Amino acid sequence: MNKFISKKDLLSWLGKLRETRRLIAPTRVEDLTLFKEVSRVEDIVFDYQNTDLPPKQFLFPATETIFSIEKKDGRVELVPAKVEKETVIFGVRPCDAKGILTLGMPFLEEPGDPLFREHREKTILVGISCLTACPECFCASMGSAPDDPSGMDIMLTGVKDGYLIQVLTDKGKALMPDSLLSSVDTPKPPAPQVSTVPSKGITEKMRQAFDDPYWGRVADRCLHCNVCSYVCPTCYCFDVRDYGGKNKTERVRSWESCQSPGFSKIAGGYDPRANKGTRMRQRFAHKLLYFPEHFGTMHCIGCGRCVRACPVNIDIREIIQDVQKLGVKEK
Amino acid sequence: MNPSEQIRAKAKELLDSKTVDCVIGYERSTDGKNARPLFVYSSKDADRLIFDQTCAQDLVRYLLNRKDKVTGIVVKPCDSRAINLLLNEHQIQRDKVYIIGIACSGVAKTDWNKTSDKLRDACQICQQHKLVVYDFLVGEAKAEPAAEAYPDIKSMEEKSPGERRAFWEEQFSRCIRCYACRQVCPGCYCSECFVERLDPLWVGIRIAPGENEMWNTMRAFHLAGRCIGCNACELVCPVNIPLSLLNRKLEKDVQTLFKFQSGIDADAPPPFAAFQKDEKLGVAE
Ligand code: SF4
Ligand code: SF4
Ligand code: SF4
Ligand code: SF4
Ligand code: SF4
Repeated sequence: MNKFISKKDLLSWLGKLRETRRLIAPTRVEDLTLFKEVSRVEDIVFDYQNTDLPPKQFLFPATETIFSIEKKDGRVELVPAKVEKETVIFGVRPCDAKGILTLGMPFLEEPGDPLFREHREKTILVGISCLTACPECFCASMGSAPDDPSGMDIMLTGVKDGYLIQVLTDKGKALMPDSLLSSVDTPKPPAPQVSTVPSKGITEKMRQAFDDPYWGRVADRCLHCNVCSYVCPTCYCFDVRDYGGKNKTERVRSWESCQSPGFSKIAGGYDPRANKGTRMRQRFAHKLLYFPEHFGTMHCIGCGRCVRACPVNIDIREIIQDVQKLGVKEK
Repeated sequence: MNPSEQIRAKAKELLDSKTVDCVIGYERSTDGKNARPLFVYSSKDADRLIFDQTCAQDLVRYLLNRKDKVTGIVVKPCDSRAINLLLNEHQIQRDKVYIIGIACSGVAKTDWNKTSDKLRDACQICQQHKLVVYDFLVGEAKAEPAAEAYPDIKSMEEKSPGERRAFWEEQFSRCIRCYACRQVCPGCYCSECFVERLDPLWVGIRIAPGENEMWNTMRAFHLAGRCIGCNACELVCPVNIPLSLLNRKLEKDVQTLFKFQSGIDADAPPPFAAFQKDEKLGVAE
């Protein structure tokens, strides 16, 4: 037996949640599908495969004040930023939920980033499993799957007139009233086949390929446009700047990317990664070597967004294939 | 020989004779449908070169990374304007570039994993089907200049300032300040862009409406009289902001005010770097 919720009940439940929480869901903006705060549940789109940008910005905003320093009654006070409202992100795909878990690893590792932790604690993920997969998805090779509920509080799977529903966590239980659910004997539709990449053993191969001239050749065509990092659900680099005012100074962080020229420039103007090839290698070595070595999991969850978005087709699937072959003599 | 074969043969000849150190052209991308830039260093790789309606990217910017080496490059007529722009601004040297020019009648709308027969917006209004500079010509241009160069700009101009303001506020609110528009633009080659300058600080780092607007408008002004109307900025923007409406508006204004179009003539003095005694700006006259 499976639990079922009708589409109508789901929409009215979401409508109710919206009254007291920030409801984020996929919406259509021009010809893009983007996660946005919705004020009417009618604006939510259901027929999408993968949104153009990941839901990352609701846990790690493109820009946010992390604390402010305020002068009050002759005293100077440090005021940490607060996350006011609970957020429900509806419609995350399994890769994006896994992406949020992965994004959290560096932020939550002790001593941890208090603001990210607060965002994470106040966020509920209601996901939808994938019944079709884009040709560029390779989640199954990166430790996820089209029906993987990891990281979600509630997971839905589309069936006729509604969804099979799995309530996975206490947070999910507290939110979803039993009265909306019924028991049905509809079987779970099978997960689609996703394409694969030869990711097995890639970490070791990446180490061997560290000094290979390959990186310079790939970087030849890189524009250092940052798009790959900004569309990636797991990239977490940021820059910090202080905004001074008369009685209040804010410390702000904004997204940055290891691909931008000058990202690693230090005082005195020296840049250890001034060269295009070393910059390019950083991106892939971070995803496939440094992060797995430190956190035990890939820093890519195979969502395929950078594959679709790179204007000059630097394709991580091809990089993985090439690196596997580096050092193997051609016959 | 078809264009791809002609380019391959020329590339082999240039590389084998050591006339150039590298040829920059196009090859098929991993979706099997579109094209991507290819750097060919040895004639044995030249057979990967292709040219067809999917070869949309402007490769000229890559010349800035190779100033000290002689480079062969495949250019379309619009891209040839980028070469003239960089020559005009003394960023590249003519004798370090070997230009394989393609007489092109327009490239198709490209999108990942999709093919289309429809021409790109920029090609539909293209006035420039002839190469402004080249060393070797491939093919024969058949297309005529479009009847109207700025139909989209004209309809923007018809809107009230309030409507235009609302339009751009909405568009810029989506900007994630990835700077892809700058990275792809042949005119944006400053070693330190104003937006990354710390002292003096011109624009803060917030990815938020006010600062996004500042970024986008300042960049547009830096391209005034320099934008070649290639549309590359717009095509690369990950959140589909129609940047060329802004940049080409300035292109149009400079043309009206100064009778100058960037990239057409490598030797014509650019209006913002030259002054003529009888110059009339239409201000307070
Ligand atoms: S999206 Fe592509 S061109 Fe842009 S920085 Fe990433 S790899 Fe380079
Ligand atoms: S590296 Fe690319 S495919 Fe991997 S998670 Fe990031 S955007 Fe998705
Ligand atoms: S490419 Fe688009 S999103 Fe990126 S900085 Fe330019 S306008 Fe903003
Ligand atoms: S926006 Fe202006 S300062 Fe920045 S690279 Fe372009 S021309 Fe240079
Ligand atoms: S259309 Fe855009 S990318 Fe092309 S020259 Fe003008 S501003 Fe630069």
